Amino acid sequence: MKFSELVEKAEKLVGKYEKGRRIKPRKLDKLQQLLSDKKSRYQAKLAETDDPGKRQKLETRLRVVTAQLEKSKHLRKVD
Amino acid sequence: MLKKTLLPTILLILAYGFWVSPDFKEIAAGVSIFLFGMLFLEDGFKAFTGGVLEKLLQKTTDKTWKSLLFGVVSTSIMQSSSLVSVITISFISAGLVTLVAGIGIIFGANIGTTTGAWLVAAFGLKVKISAYAMPMLVFGIVLSFQKSKYLKGAGAVLAGLGFLFLGIHYMKEGFEAFKDSFDLASLAVGGYPGLFLFAAIGAAATVVMQSSHATLVLILTALAASQITYENGLALAIGANVGTTITAIIGSLSANIQGRRLAGAHLIFNIVTGVVAIAFINQFVVAVDAVSNSVGIAADNYTMKLAVFHTLFNLVGVLLMVPLIHKLSDFLIKSLPEKAKDLAEPLYLSEAAIEFPETVLKSLKKEVWHLFDSAFELMAHGINLHRTEILKSEDLQKTIDNDREVHDFDMDELYESKVKILYSAIVDFISNSQAHMPSDFSEELFRLRKAAGEIVECVKHIKHLRKNATKYMLSDNEHIRDEYNKLRYQIAMILREIYRLRGEEDIDHSIAILEMDELKAEIQSAHTDLDVRITGILRDDRITPTMATSLLNDFNYVDETSRHLLDTAQALMFSHSDLIAEAAQEVVLDEDEIEKASAA
Repeated sequence: MKFSELVEKAEKLVGKYEKGRRIKPRKLDKLQQLLSDKKSRYQAKLAETDDPGKRQKLETRLRVVTAQLEKSKHLRKVD
Repeated sequence: MLKKTLLPTILLILAYGFWVSPDFKEIAAGVSIFLFGMLFLEDGFKAFTGGVLEKLLQKTTDKTWKSLLFGVVSTSIMQSSSLVSVITISFISAGLVTLVAGIGIIFGANIGTTTGAWLVAAFGLKVKISAYAMPMLVFGIVLSFQKSKYLKGAGAVLAGLGFLFLGIHYMKEGFEAFKDSFDLASLAVGGYPGLFLFAAIGAAATVVMQSSHATLVLILTALAASQITYENGLALAIGANVGTTITAIIGSLSANIQGRRLAGAHLIFNIVTGVVAIAFINQFVVAVDAVSNSVGIAADNYTMKLAVFHTLFNLVGVLLMVPLIHKLSDFLIKSLPEKAKDLAEPLYLSEAAIEFPETVLKSLKKEVWHLFDSAFELMAHGINLHRTEILKSEDLQKTIDNDREVHDFDMDELYESKVKILYSAIVDFISNSQAHMPSDFSEELFRLRKAAGEIVECVKHIKHLRKNATKYMLSDNEHIRDEYNKLRYQIAMILREIYRLRGEEDIDHSIAILEMDELKAEIQSAHTDLDVRITGILRDDRITPTMATSLLNDFNYVDETSRHLLDTAQALMFSHSDLIAEAAQEVVLDEDEIEKASAA
């Protein structure tokens, strides 16, 4: 192997390491899990609450968490 | 005066030395190449900071033995106690490492630095070291031309080692040749006068070369060429240890109080160790002989024995000082007190923190939180609430409805003294540190600068809101009073939520970042509700059109303040080293997505 090839290979390895510092699928999976748990918690709370004010807030929050969950799934697919 | 004449004097002496003795020239060139190698080595290791080194350093703060071990290992690997000191000062300044842990690291570094003497005595003087130097230099320089910062760093380390070896080679050759023309050993002085004289020479040489390592290598090479006596070599080694403290003190002048305290600890350690070594020199000599005997070092192998002595007296120093580490820390805190902390003074920004990208970001983040705290107080008073009411009140809406106390203060004056000064310091710090930052850190740097700017904007918005909020919270018209109390509540609630998410340790930061989106959606819903309510109460003549206009204008200030506060909190909770938080940052919803989610 030529020296230039060796350097190129080393650069590729380092590049892979540096890229690895970007978002890893495993981290997205972990995030998805956290969001799914949260969604379930909100759904459970919503089922227990009759207060219209509280219900409105919970519904808003639930929609946000659902949108975040969708977005993370999309990112996972693209990745 | 002395400062002005010192450099020309040194240059003249060196030039005269080169003129009269080519061998002296070779020794001096060896020292220069060696020091050049140290610079390369430090630069090379700096390329690897911003990751492993910092994480390791942060994990060595809980136990003294861990700090010691970190000091020993890192200095042994990097062969530079000054680099370890600089990193430690930088971390203490950024508030990431305690003073006790920092002192532990410095003690450990003193032991770590003795490995250099072992390497030179056992390896450097026995083999043809220049044979290794040349390939290292070639590989090192080729690698340092590469694009990747890690390859560049590895290249600098390799080239640094190459230069170190080459320097040792020249020193060795120089002393070998020198002894044929001039016998330095004839200047040897015996007894305690010699001990003090040579200790002073060792200290002076270290101050000039700014490296005890270089002094020690010089001593070892001179000793190997029998140009100094073993006894004088011991004294020189003691002096080199004391001299290195002066380097640390000079380095600490630009550091903050923590850095100065650490330099103080270094000074006390080396003076105590030096005094003990001089007072018990005879016992040390006996101990060195015993240790050398037991590990098979020949009685006349003075270079190895000097390495044993160097390790032994530093080890004794550590053993003596470690039990006193907490007392030493208390003493330094007492004798070098911190100036009374004014809220408006930056707490974490120091020149020492600029040394490493990681400490730049960490201290900057802490300072932006500090700015946030100052702004919090100002904003709370701006909406006529106390900080404790916002944070502690069980029913925030009720507290706001009942509290009609007007806070009388000059908001402009407080803005100038509490917020603007900090903001200026942050902007200044960012512009000074930008040149040292690798590109992968600049995004976070930008984010933090934006966050600081948004905090300032929030204070300005509250200043605008204050006039009407104060007027209408005292109004007899309950409808307009209620609406303004709702605006006050929104600001107070967001500040409170940010504090909750920031402070609660059991909340994952990635979840906290995303929870800000939920708050943004709530604000969006509140906006829609407000529009409906205003139309209703205006139609029913419960408020005047002037009141409605003021309310709509002020709501825009509140709306923007709330969004800025949440954006700021998201930026501050993000960390490039926390990969889940990094993933969360990608999942954060944009304005359109928030609007969509907030619509029922």
